[in-house]
Amino acid sequence: MKMEDMPLSGPDNTRLEALVHDIYSELVEDACLGLCFEVHRAVKQGCFFLDETDQESMKEFEIVDQPGVDIFGQVYNQWKNKECECPNCKRLIAASRFAPHLEKCLGMGRNSSRIANRRLASNNNMSKSESDQEDNDDLNDNDWSYGAEKKAKKRKSDKNQNSPRRSKSLKHKNGELGSSVGSEPYKYNYNPGISYETLGPDEVRSLLTTQCGVISEHTKKMCTRPSLPDGDPVGESNIFDIPDGQTLMGRLQWEDSPDISPTDSASSKASTNHSDSRRPKKKKTPSLGLNSGGGGGGGGGGGGSLSGGSSSSQSNISLPTKKKRPKLSAPSITSIYDDLN
Amino acid sequence: MSKESRMRATVNQKLTEMGERERLKELLRAKLTECGWKDQMKAHCKEVIKDKGLEHVTVEDLLVEITPKGRALVPDSVKKELLHRIRAFLAQHAT
Repeated sequence: MKMEDMPLSGPDNTRLEALVHDIYSELVEDACLGLCFEVHRAVKQGCFFLDETDQESMKEFEIVDQPGVDIFGQVYNQWKNKECECPNCKRLIAASRFAPHLEKCLGMGRNSSRIANRRLASNNNMSKSESDQEDNDDLNDNDWSYGAEKKAKKRKSDKNQNSPRRSKSLKHKNGELGSSVGSEPYKYNYNPGISYETLGPDEVRSLLTTQCGVISEHTKKMCTRPSLPDGDPVGESNIFDIPDGQTLMGRLQWEDSPDISPTDSASSKASTNHSDSRRPKKKKTPSLGLNSGGGGGGGGGGGGSLSGGSSSSQSNISLPTKKKRPKLSAPSITSIYDDLN
Repeated sequence: MSKESRMRATVNQKLTEMGERERLKELLRAKLTECGWKDQMKAHCKEVIKDKGLEHVTVEDLLVEITPKGRALVPDSVKKELLHRIRAFLAQHAT
């Protein structure tokens, strides 16, 4: 017979209910039995009546149930308004403030030591600053003590000596000077001693028609970003290593790009004719391992475009975006390296 | 009535096998302690013991005295809850 549906037929239901009650009675009797065992055991072990003593004590410690008083019969804030005499300063202090007062009065505890330390520190600063300020009238204008200021200034300057920010900003500046495209990493690993005075006019012209040629103020290096007359992607490998002139000769690969900056127009047009004759090889790893001086020399040797010199000088200042990339011949490069070395 | 007795036996067996009996026992004990039934019963025991004498009191004595009073003193809420649980168990598991 199913028992899921509660409203059963009469006899079944009563039987069921009877069963339920029987089960319940069993459980209750079980509980009682457990209790009896517990009590009996306690009685036989002698620990049943332990919470009862003689009548007198029972009366004495009876639970108090009056208002305004706790169960022990004690008043709650009896000691709040009392005053105690401090053994140190002999003053009368309120009871609730007594402990903190003692802490400060006797000089023990966390807060009092902290205050004392602070006072000592400020006193030191004060005495120090006073002695300095007598000598340095300028520093009298400072609101805070000279010692602290010196410390702070020193710390600040120490902080930023070798931070990556510094070098990063330098590099970034160099990059900007070289190209406004700014996406390629132009590296300037050649000798920092380049100056345009050492190069002849031909060399300078050829140099500047092929590369940017701007000398950074910070690193004193010349930007070797090649010019792009043919529109070839500028993202070529423009790594300029200058280990040796001989090795570099073999590695020089310049490309012609069509885009020519306005300032360079005269020189680059002249040199374009010469550069076009040499087909560039793209995507070679050590493609441009050259000083800009060396590269310019090579280009100049090949093209002999003297007109580029004057306009190239302008290019130094104006930051042209794209430049031609002329091919460089080997022999002319060595001559320029000699100059540099 | 053997059918009924058989049914009862089955129910009891199921109750024990599934651990429901133990659970119900614990539940009842906890509830009775909570509501103060146990302390009341203990006080009653004390009186019984004092009557019978500390040395010679037996478990049966206590049981006889305690059980009727115990059954009567169970609070209604506890009783209702237990009955409810038993019914639910039967509804769920009895066939």
